[in-house]
Amino acid sequence: MLPSAVIEKLPHRRMEAWKWTDVRRAVRDEVSGLSSVMTPRFTAPDGVSVTQGAAHPSDHVMGRLAQSFSDQSWNIYIPRGAKAAEPVLIEDMNRGHGRFAVMVDEGAEATFVEYHKGKAGSFANIEQNIHLAKGAKLIRIIVQDDPDDMTRIATSCIAAAEGTKLEQYILSFGGALTRLETRLYGEGANIEAVMNGAYLLSGSKHTDMTSHTELSHPDCYIRQSVKGVVTDKAKAVFQGKFLVRRDAQHTDAEMRHDALMLSERAEVRAKPELEIYADDVACAHGNTIGALDDSALFYMRQRGISLAEAKALLTEAFLASVFDDMDDEDMRESLMGQIKNWLGASYGV
Amino acid sequence: MLKINNLHAVVGEAESQILTGLSLDVPAGEVHAIMGPNGAGKSTLSYVLTGRDGYEVTDGSVELGGKDLLDMEPEDRAAAGLFLSFQYPLEIPGVPTMTFLKTALNAQRRARGQEEMAAPEFLKKARAIASELKIKPDMLKRPLNVGFSGGEKKRMEIFQMMMLGPSFIVMDETDSGLDVDALRIVADGVNSLRSPERGMLIITHYQRLLDYITPDKVHVLAGGKIAASGDADFARLLEKEGYDKYAA
Ligand SMILES: Nc1ncnc2c1ncn2[C@@H]1O[C@H](COP(=O)(O)OP(=O)(O)OP(=O)(O)O)[C@@H](O)[C@H]1O
Ligand SMILES: [Mg+2]
Repeated sequence: MLPSAVIEKLPHRRMEAWKWTDVRRAVRDEVSGLSSVMTPRFTAPDGVSVTQGAAHPSDHVMGRLAQSFSDQSWNIYIPRGAKAAEPVLIEDMNRGHGRFAVMVDEGAEATFVEYHKGKAGSFANIEQNIHLAKGAKLIRIIVQDDPDDMTRIATSCIAAAEGTKLEQYILSFGGALTRLETRLYGEGANIEAVMNGAYLLSGSKHTDMTSHTELSHPDCYIRQSVKGVVTDKAKAVFQGKFLVRRDAQHTDAEMRHDALMLSERAEVRAKPELEIYADDVACAHGNTIGALDDSALFYMRQRGISLAEAKALLTEAFLASVFDDMDDEDMRESLMGQIKNWLGASYGV
Repeated sequence: MLKINNLHAVVGEAESQILTGLSLDVPAGEVHAIMGPNGAGKSTLSYVLTGRDGYEVTDGSVELGGKDLLDMEPEDRAAAGLFLSFQYPLEIPGVPTMTFLKTALNAQRRARGQEEMAAPEFLKKARAIASELKIKPDMLKRPLNVGFSGGEKKRMEIFQMMMLGPSFIVMDETDSGLDVDALRIVADGVNSLRSPERGMLIITHYQRLLDYITPDKVHVLAGGKIAASGDADFARLLEKEGYDKYAA
């Protein structure tokens, strides 16, 4: 397929789900990766297999596009009952179309760490189909940091069976245009999911965190907290939807998006949505967009802390709660370290 | 040490004139008290001295140890040794008290060209001062002032003051909200900092605090300036007679 034909297939702002993230407009036909297949690198612990094989058809716009380049996907299998001691690492997702199928089999536990770091002037489209079998547990840690002329769309569709646990933590530093989309489909009762994310955007970077959570069975527990900071002319998009079907009684679900807007030219677009058909549920959503507290900043400066450092401390404290519940202390420290580096560089500490 | 001359200041969007030619001289080694009616501009004076946004000086000068304060950023004034114990201390969510103070102390040290204080020395100092002020160690791990009671916040101001060891201290109603025991603890802390190199300005409504910290001078702030001054006994008289005769 010619790059120009690929661009014709990209989603654009006249499509409701893409109204704030116009991929078609962002991509020029000279970028690399538009019509090639991705070559990711895996590090998998013993007992976890990574193979290439026939892929299932996709029903998502970006998934279908990836499918037109390859009917194969990378298949990662965590066998029944396995508890992988080390995380599965996925790296080098730096350009092209990549398809992944992950199966965490019954009672298995796994941690995936994904680094989405691209090269200048490229395009990446990643489609992941994840299946959590009965009682499986998956922790996903996703770090994304692209150059300011790179476009990345990563879409994860997660099918979760009864009694599964999902913890997902995203840290996004954006790119020319970045969309990290998670679609969670509950296929059984008693699912527990944490879907947190933080974005830190400067310059003219753009991150879109979109999620769709669909529950059809009782007693599920969902916590989602996305927090971010935008400076300069950066743009953040948060779209979150909880769709709670009639049989999903006793759903306990909470969605929050909180943004700090540190420049008048920055932009934050948020659309939290609840669509609820069950009558005995506790579902809530909240959305705030604010600035740093001037009084607190003055108080800190009165104690001798420079304005830049005061801003950095308050921002770090604001974002930290997103990763508070992570069990892996070292990983949490590493994510907070990356946040500190960004704050140091962006605020000029 | 602190020399305020003919200070005029306006506040807020409306630019209301609050200070209208205030002059005051606090030499090193002295403790001065400022009393005065509600809304007279006592807190305004403390914010003008420390450089808060929204408090604009329209005339006059302020020098601390020979340096022009009004030209400096708030953090540089702090590094120059100026400390304000806030009438209403701010809550700093998510920043543990110890992290906050260590950052502040070392920022000041760097600004003065001194070496940073190492963690063990800092901890030792913090523990000693906390126990002197009867502050429970677990309080120092909590985010600064978040959920602290009014009295605890005031005590925490004194804790910060003793940790930072400023050369000039402004205390804005630090006594309000303190129980008798806390008042004594705070006063002992303040008295321990009295020294020939250090000056203090204590804003208060009550003689009570001045029973513990004997001031060298007492001033009345009314009508935007110092309307009257006297010695330590003057505070007692003011408490009895009120400020009616100093009204602008
Ligand atoms: N941001 C502002 N905009 C307008 N007016 C203000 C602002 N801040 C303070 N003022 C006014 O300035 C005057 C002085 O206030 P200030 O807080 O300095 O008084 P104070 O002497 O400390 O009083 P108190 O004894 O009650 O603490 C008051 O009339 C107050 O309403
Ligand atoms: Mg006041």
